Amino acid sequence: MTNLPAARKRIDPLLLLENWFGSGVRLIGQTLILLVLTVKYILRGEIDWKEVWRQCYIIGVNSFVVVGLTAVFTGFAMSLQIARELVLFGADTAIGGVVSLALVREIGPITAGVMVAGRVGSAIAAELTTMMITEQIDALTVMRIDPVQFLVVPRYLAAMFMMPALSVYAMFIGLLAGIQIAHTAANLPPETFMDSVKQTILDRDFTVHFSKSWINATLVIMLSCAIGLHTRGGAEDVGIATTRSIVWTMTMIFVFNYIVTSLTYAPR
Amino acid sequence: MNRTKASDDAAPPGPMIEVIDLRKSFNGREVLRGVSFKVWPREMLGIIGPSGCGKSTILKHLCGLLTPDSGQIIKRSDEVGLVFQGSALLNSLTVRENLALPLRHRKLSRAEQDRIIREKLELVGLAEYIDAYPTQLSGGQQKRTGFARAIVNDPKIILYDEPTTGLDPVMSTIIEDYMIELEHKLGAASIVVTHQPSTWSRTADRVLLVFGGRVVWEGNPDEALKSDDPYMRQFAHATREGPMEAGKV
Repeated sequence: MTNLPAARKRIDPLLLLENWFGSGVRLIGQTLILLVLTVKYILRGEIDWKEVWRQCYIIGVNSFVVVGLTAVFTGFAMSLQIARELVLFGADTAIGGVVSLALVREIGPITAGVMVAGRVGSAIAAELTTMMITEQIDALTVMRIDPVQFLVVPRYLAAMFMMPALSVYAMFIGLLAGIQIAHTAANLPPETFMDSVKQTILDRDFTVHFSKSWINATLVIMLSCAIGLHTRGGAEDVGIATTRSIVWTMTMIFVFNYIVTSLTYAPR
Repeated sequence: MNRTKASDDAAPPGPMIEVIDLRKSFNGREVLRGVSFKVWPREMLGIIGPSGCGKSTILKHLCGLLTPDSGQIIKRSDEVGLVFQGSALLNSLTVRENLALPLRHRKLSRAEQDRIIREKLELVGLAEYIDAYPTQLSGGQQKRTGFARAIVNDPKIILYDEPTTGLDPVMSTIIEDYMIELEHKLGAASIVVTHQPSTWSRTADRVLLVFGGRVVWEGNPDEALKSDDPYMRQFAHATREGPMEAGKV
């Protein structure tokens, strides 16, 4: 008997589009259902606080180094660009204000959100997918333990606590980097930099900052958990779920960031 | 009709599990085509058949992981323990915490919970591993921990999904001995889904051969090995010739 090579599958662009669109719509539906179930458990007070604190450590404390490193270099680069342009126009005293505006409104929440999506979201998707494949989720169901209450609720609450902390931390690190660059590149004293910050930043900016943090926490945890809890198959699918989680969470973080910005800062 | 119900323990003596005309399809493919059987108290029923014939699908219906398209499952107890093929222990939890999971609903004191967990671990010879993580245990020890977790609530029904698949012959015999010992100690009704000849012939009181989503043969293990039925003979003697063609499950 001759072994013939398998016939190459014909790629139908319409079918590909349908599959892609269909899986996207399905994921959005699964994520919304998961969010409703999670909020239901939180409102009922059915929370395993010990696991919440454990997840706070995993999601928050373990992310401080990467978020800090990203924030410091983002702060350096952004401040350098802003300082260079403002010095040209003789507006060097406004460097602090412009840098802090960017940090509070955009860079802080985005940096923390993206780093948590990459470090935590992908790990959650991989962990839950592995649990699905190795029947650990089935075991929970047989033991009459809801996987949403047991696995999703603690992670969601932990992210809701830790994401604002990480965003504020990223903002402060970025601000320190800005002060350093303003001092060395534009010869601006830190006091002048901070005076500009105080005059520019409004309470509303912090409201937006925290709103974005909570939205990012929701996106990272809900999308990663929904992907993890709905993936079947084998080892290859763990990798696919991880990639899918990173792509979806990061894309959605940027989309929602723009939506919140346009709703709050667009000229009327 | 699409129903799964559990009556109370005070019900008159009768089967612990009764499955009537169970049917299930996945993506238009009929996996179960009217499976019916009964399991009696203190009986171990073996559900055997080639890979993909629907054995595990039957088990998943019995423990509530799947809902039938039609048919009835009548269970006399809601306390069901399932031993998974791959143990399914939660790797982030210790052996103690894994065994505590089924006890969460019982609101027991810490001391009482610990007493039950130690008792079950002693039954499977793993009491000294109470604070170990599953990754620190060997495959056989993980399997035995899975046993202990399945029986921690003293279930009236124990389900085994391929308990010896992938194990070496010595470990298979050890696991089979545990199954027989647990059946005697707990007096539960058990179902073992397997295609390992040593497992069903040593542990089961009665076997059902499933093929093509239907029960094609029923009897005790001794009859199975001597049967002239073409399905049973082919399966028991592992021959290529017979009605069970590869890929036509």
